[in-house]
Amino acid sequence: MDNQNSQSVFQSTDQILPRSINDVKSPSSGKKIFMKIKYKLLAVAGFSVLTVTILSIFLYLSVQSFNLTIEYFVAGLIVTFVLNAVVIILLLSNSTYKPITKLRKETETIEQGNPDYKASIQTKNNTSHLPKSFDDATEKLKASYFEDLEKRVSEKTKALSQRIEELNFEKEKSKEAEEKALIEKAEEEATLTSIGEGVVVTDPQGKIMIFNPAAEQMTNWTSSEAMGRFWFETVPAMSEKGYLIPRKDRDMYKALTTGKKVFAENVYLQKGSGKITVAITATPIIFKDRVIGAVEVFRDISHEKEVDRMKTEFISLASHQLRTPLSAMKWFCEMLLNGDAGELNPEQKEYTKNVSDSNERMISLVNSLLNISRIESGRIIIDPKLTDINKLISKVISEIKIKSDERKQQIIVSIHSDIPLVNVDPQLIREVYINLLTNASKYTPPGGEISIFISKKDDQLISQVSDNGYGIPKKDCDKIFQKFHRGENIVKIETEGNGLGLYLAKAIVESSGGKIWFQSTEGKGTSFYFSLPLSGTQAKKGEVTLSS
Amino acid sequence: MMRKQKPTVMVIEDESLLLQAISRKLELDGITAISCSSGKQAIDCLDSSSELPDAIWLDYQLKDMDGIEFMGHLRKKGAWAQIPVIVVSNSASEDKVHNMLALGAKRYLLKAEYRLDELIPIVKQFIAENNVQA
Repeated sequence: MDNQNSQSVFQSTDQILPRSINDVKSPSSGKKIFMKIKYKLLAVAGFSVLTVTILSIFLYLSVQSFNLTIEYFVAGLIVTFVLNAVVIILLLSNSTYKPITKLRKETETIEQGNPDYKASIQTKNNTSHLPKSFDDATEKLKASYFEDLEKRVSEKTKALSQRIEELNFEKEKSKEAEEKALIEKAEEEATLTSIGEGVVVTDPQGKIMIFNPAAEQMTNWTSSEAMGRFWFETVPAMSEKGYLIPRKDRDMYKALTTGKKVFAENVYLQKGSGKITVAITATPIIFKDRVIGAVEVFRDISHEKEVDRMKTEFISLASHQLRTPLSAMKWFCEMLLNGDAGELNPEQKEYTKNVSDSNERMISLVNSLLNISRIESGRIIIDPKLTDINKLISKVISEIKIKSDERKQQIIVSIHSDIPLVNVDPQLIREVYINLLTNASKYTPPGGEISIFISKKDDQLISQVSDNGYGIPKKDCDKIFQKFHRGENIVKIETEGNGLGLYLAKAIVESSGGKIWFQSTEGKGTSFYFSLPLSGTQAKKGEVTLSS
Repeated sequence: MMRKQKPTVMVIEDESLLLQAISRKLELDGITAISCSSGKQAIDCLDSSSELPDAIWLDYQLKDMDGIEFMGHLRKKGAWAQIPVIVVSNSASEDKVHNMLALGAKRYLLKAEYRLDELIPIVKQFIAENNVQA
């Protein structure tokens, strides 16, 4: 950079010193040149005096001998002077250019990068002040050059330090960003490591890419062993009923193939022989509309299951204990009403009947609670038998007919002729029909109509129970299958009811492989539908049956 | 051997109110009731009495033993094992029902589901069947 500057500074001297003279001697011969010029001048002076004198004599003699006028003599003298002058000028001009050429050469020397170089030219004529001026100029130039250089250097240094500062800042910034990224990564890793839930991340094929310590602990696989293996093969899953879940029904597989979040409760088979009950959330990782993997978070719910089991056991035990006094009340009321302790007067009979009715409701509630605890605990036995739905419905109708007749309600049954025998648990499905028909009768004003339609749709048996009763208010629609929920409108009309019937019906239908839904308009009526697979319900081993 | 005029039913029930209700109802229906509030009392009664009851009305869950244990005692003596046993219980889980029927019980009924006047005919029916076989 400095070189460039010095060049630009010295380029300006080119304009002062045109490069037209080539013959240059070295600067060290300055004294010699001076001597040469001195002798040259002496020779010229001598030569001039001699020629002028000779020519003057010659002219004088010529004028005398040819008898010419004085004008000729003067003219001859002028010519002589002029010739002399020309010769002197020629000689002197040579001694003037030489130092200039030298000066130029020296300038070039300075230009090469030696501003301290002094011009060594000495002349005898009035150009002799040139080297000094040149040196002065060089000095000035040098001063200005250095001043300029200093200024430039200072500017450049400033710019440079500014740039360095900027670079440092950028470096600092990128270092900070790098550190931040590292911290974030460490934090993520720490989070993943400390998280209580098992976390598994797979690629789109289901190969394990991330396997956190909780996952290691829950599956007995170490991260290094699990990495790169297929998740579905590494940790097999069983349903709560004890069936091994095929790959296509695994939650992670569903998340990967459907791109949707999947929830489930499975039993994972640990490495070795252990099992663990887990609640699973499998979420696809979607990038630019493409599933690039999936993340599964699973939680050990063995403890929750145990609490749930204890709760169920408590309900079961409590219900059984409740049944003893209920039985005593039932039987004593029965004996009183039978007149076993003597005839009762009508009023006594009425009161005793009220006690008996309330007691029956209590028995029914306890039975429902027991059934729910049985279904919820998964301990219920599902024992499918080839069942004639037509016969099953007729039996159910005969049971509820006493109540519907009391209310002068008409029951219409329509069953398609091509309904085959279906492999379902008749005791369970009967409970669904009983609940739906009891509700239809209870929540339809006297004189109303209840209809049952049984049809086939694809591979499903569809049962429809409709009424033209009170209907379900819109605000209750999403709660109707909840435990203990009763419609806002019907609690005012019909006090009897525990809000467990539909919950139980739903639980039974779903455990039988079907679905339940409804349509209702408040004040006009309700239609409940449920489907059952024509292929039948899978048998399930268990410990309890309904109403046992 | 002369048949008794009135059939006899041994009622084993640890809930005194229920025991009272059942016994009273049986008496009203012309059946002699031998009321026992525990398994041990029933065994002792069988041991000491000269005549065996025509049927046994048994609650599964007793304070001192369960139905299975009681059936075990009955099967120790050939004559006792011939007495028809009707289990009337609060709990009728599949395995209990299965085990009791396998051990020779005739029926397993759920207490709260039946009225007494529904239960008495069932008991009577077993007595009759047993008499025919005898």
